[in-house]
This record gives sequence, structure tokens and C-alpha cells, in this order.
Amino acid sequence: MTTVAMAADARHEAADRARTGIHIDNVTHSYGARASGRGVVALNRICLDIADGEFHALLGPSGCGKSTLLYLIGGFLPIQEGAIVTTNGPVTQPGPDRAIVFQNFALFPWKTVKQNVLYGLRKQGLKGEDAEERARDYINLVHLSGFEDAYPSQLSGGMQQRAAIARTLAVDPKTLLMDEPFGALDAQTRRVMQEELRAIWGRSRKTVVFVTHDVQEAVFLADRISIMSSRPGRIEHVIDVSLPRDRGEDTLEDREFIHLSEQIWRLVREQAVAATRGR
Amino acid sequence: MATVQATSRGSLKAKRATPRIAPDRLVDITVQAGVIVVLCLAWEFGARVGAINPFLLPSLSDVLARIWADAMSGTVFVDLGLTLYRTLAGFLIAAALGIPIGVLMARSATVRWFFDPLISVGFPMPKIAFLPIFILWFDIYDTSKIIMVTFSCFFPIVAATYAGTTGQDKWPIWSARALGAREHEILWEVRLPLALPQILTGLQVALPVGMITTIVTEMLMGGRGVGGSMIMAGRFADSVGVFAGIVEIVFLGFAVVRSLEMLRARLLVWHPEARK
Repeated sequence: MTTVAMAADARHEAADRARTGIHIDNVTHSYGARASGRGVVALNRICLDIADGEFHALLGPSGCGKSTLLYLIGGFLPIQEGAIVTTNGPVTQPGPDRAIVFQNFALFPWKTVKQNVLYGLRKQGLKGEDAEERARDYINLVHLSGFEDAYPSQLSGGMQQRAAIARTLAVDPKTLLMDEPFGALDAQTRRVMQEELRAIWGRSRKTVVFVTHDVQEAVFLADRISIMSSRPGRIEHVIDVSLPRDRGEDTLEDREFIHLSEQIWRLVREQAVAATRGR
Repeated sequence: MATVQATSRGSLKAKRATPRIAPDRLVDITVQAGVIVVLCLAWEFGARVGAINPFLLPSLSDVLARIWADAMSGTVFVDLGLTLYRTLAGFLIAAALGIPIGVLMARSATVRWFFDPLISVGFPMPKIAFLPIFILWFDIYDTSKIIMVTFSCFFPIVAATYAGTTGQDKWPIWSARALGAREHEILWEVRLPLALPQILTGLQVALPVGMITTIVTEMLMGGRGVGGSMIMAGRFADSVGVFAGIVEIVFLGFAVVRSLEMLRARLLVWHPEARK
């Protein structure tokens, strides 16, 4: 069988399984001049199935390609090898079924909170009072009512990130991609945002792919965690988080939580040490 | 979180409730106005006391009286109107050309290859050197003056627009894409607003340049307009007339530059600079 036929076959198989969820099939990605062999292989033969409604964390040291994998799922980077298939078919470009929240918020600074949220709604063809009402609902959801007419530069980091989450959730994406969304926040705000995100996810039942390098954050939020190694980026372990669905303040003192965090921390540490030694 | 919200909400409200001019800003304005008043008084009395030859420096009151007389006869408005028309016409044409070319340079390698060397050479060049050529090609009336102004204003505008639209932060652009925006929508809805502060800076650099160019071309070509009238007054050894022209141009320049600053403040209410 030719490689082309094999690739087509693999894509077909992936498409069959992809009635729900996200299926990543043998994805390899390199930066720079690949042909001349000087490029950097960021991801190497990644295979991962994420179920519909799952909260999945991609965990690993910096430079392991976890953000690259997220951008590939988002359709922001071209897929060089392999395939990614979601409920809506193979990923070829960005789309509102896979909305994304970035670490540095990426709000439109010239728009107010409400205008930011309305932007995505207008792109979905929602107009007039319907759009206004939906925007209001999502601004309420992230506890920003009263700040509808504030510009991002008038808000704290935590408030900006909540506005960005409202903008993303408002288009009602099937999948929520989050690229270290709380990385730029202070520890207290971060904790509150984690709890709120988990609660929002619990109500909305969306599929979430959450990139982080924070072990506790991954364990607290996710149902499953992929631990990645760096250069070339690979998924080394996939771990089920066997904690109750409802998580809150006391989860952090849960014996199972502490045990799991320690166990995962050791696995991540191995990868980080290997990365610094350059293998 | 509740307390964080409450305090930040409070501070926003407080910001809205402050009067339009803050007390420390009021002190600033008073002192600055005071400096100008003192300088004017020094001019007036320096000339009156006879410390300076009144031909070399006529007193401010004489100059103001001349402006008043010219205003009564209407010539001030003709001169100022013509100078303003030439400046704005040249400036607006330069903006209409410079902004799209700057954007295209950032978006397309072909356009960049063509314009980059031209702009690298043209930017530092003293544009006024082209005046004899423009007079030869376009005669000595409005056309050549406006083309000269356009030529001078074009470079700062195109350079600032190119700088503003190239190497833009990809995150807002990716966000727009993920929210369902198409490529041509992203240009209007994301790239241009993101570049707006720099484009406005380019316009603010270009406008005084356009003003200078207008005055110089008027002086060199003669005819009506503030620059032409000043040269005419100079030829007749009418120093009051020359100073009248200087005072007129000070006011016109201030009004024009200030208008653009106000436009910037209005367009960039969202920018952190608006809250400094």
C-alpha cells in the first residue's frame, strides 16, 4: 500500500471514530526548514483520543509542544503529517466550534467588554436584541456585570481573562481550547478562576483541552491528563484523574488529590530533567 | 473575588466622577499660559522701551493691530484659508495614498519589494529639493504646492502605517479567526484598529511637515497665502507685516495640530494612553 493510501485510510478510520470528541492521529509537526534537516521536531507521532465532554489537560515542561498541539487542534497551524478529526470533520482551519482562550487574553483592546463578546456573536449571525441578551448572560456568568462598557485596559488581569472566557463561551463552541489561560494571573485569582471554570464546565458539558505546566492545576481541573515529553514532543503517559466530579476548596486537601499530584509531579519532573540534560 | 470586584468597580466609578480637568492639570495649564503671557509682555515692553529697534522687532500691539486691520479688510482670512486649504489637501491626499500603501507593504512581499527601497531613500531626503521640478511640471499655482505637500507628508505616513501593520500581535488575529471572522474582515476589524495608534502618530508627524512645506512653497512661489504675504511684506521692508504673518501661522499651526490631538484622544479612548 502506498503511503498516500495509508494516510487516507488512517484518516478514514479516524473519521469513523470521530462521531464525537477529538481524535488526534499520528500527528507530527516541525518548525523551521524541515527538508534540510535543521528544523526542530516539535511533535512526534502524537495519537490521542479525547472523549466528548471530557476535560483533558496537556501537561508538560515548557517547550514540549503542548501549545503547538493545541494550535493544531484549533486549526491555527497547518497539519503537516497525520490528521485531527472532530465531530465536525477533519480540522483544516479555525472555526467557532473550537473556540480558544489564550494566556494573554487576546481581547480586542479597542472594544469594550460587551463589544468583545458581541463580536463573536455577530460573526455567528446573531443580531439585535438576541445578541445583546446573550452577551449580557455570558458577562453575568463570568461575574463581570457592571463592567460591560469598560475597556480591557481598565480591567485587572483576572477580569480581562474572564471577559475573554465570556467571549469564547458566548459562541457556544463544542470544544473549548485553553492555552495556559490562568498563567498570567496571581495565585489567588488563579484559584478562584479554576473553581469557576470547573463549575462552568460542569454545567455546560463542553469538551475542554487545557494546556498547563502546573501539576496541581491539571489534577484539580481535568478528568484525564496527558503528560508530554519535550524535543521531540511526545505523549508519555495518559492518566485518569479519579476524583469526584464536584471539586472545590476541600478537593485540595483530599488524600487522593495529594497522592495523584505527587505521582504526576514525579513523572513531569523526569521529563523536565531529561529536557534540561538535552537527552 | 467579591472584594476585588467591589474595589475595582469603585475605582472605575471614581474615575468617571472626577471633573473634566483634574486640579494638578489645572496648575499645569495656568503655569503654561502664564509663561506665554510673560513672553508676550516682555516682547511688548521690550519694543516700547526702545531697547530694540522697532524696525527689527515691532511691538506686539502694533502687530496685533495690523492683524486686526487685515481681518477687517478680509485679507487675513484669504491668506489663512489658502494656506490651510493647501496644507489639508496635500495632507489628506498623502494619507489616502500612504495608509493603503503602508498596509499593502505589510501584507504583500511584492509591494514591499517595490516600495521599500523608494521609501528608504525618500524618507531622509529633503523633499523640498524637488520644488523646482514640481514648478516645471505643474506650474506655480495650487497644483504644484499641493503636490509638494503630498510628497512631504507621504513618507512619515507610509512608514508609520507599515510599522504599525507589520509584525502585529497574532493573538487578537487568531481570536478573530476562531470566532468566525474571514480574512478580509480581519483587515478592517482587527489589523487596522490594532495599527491605529501608530497610524495616528504618523499623521501627527506629517501634519506639521505639511504646514512647513506649504509656507515654504508659498514663500518661494509668491502669490496669496500666509507665506506669500510674508515674503511680500519683507520685500517692502514691512517688518510689522512679517511679524503679523508669524503670529497668524502660530495660531493656525496650533489650531490644526491641536485638532488632530483631539481626534486622536477621541479615537483612542480605549488605549491606556487615554488614562495618563
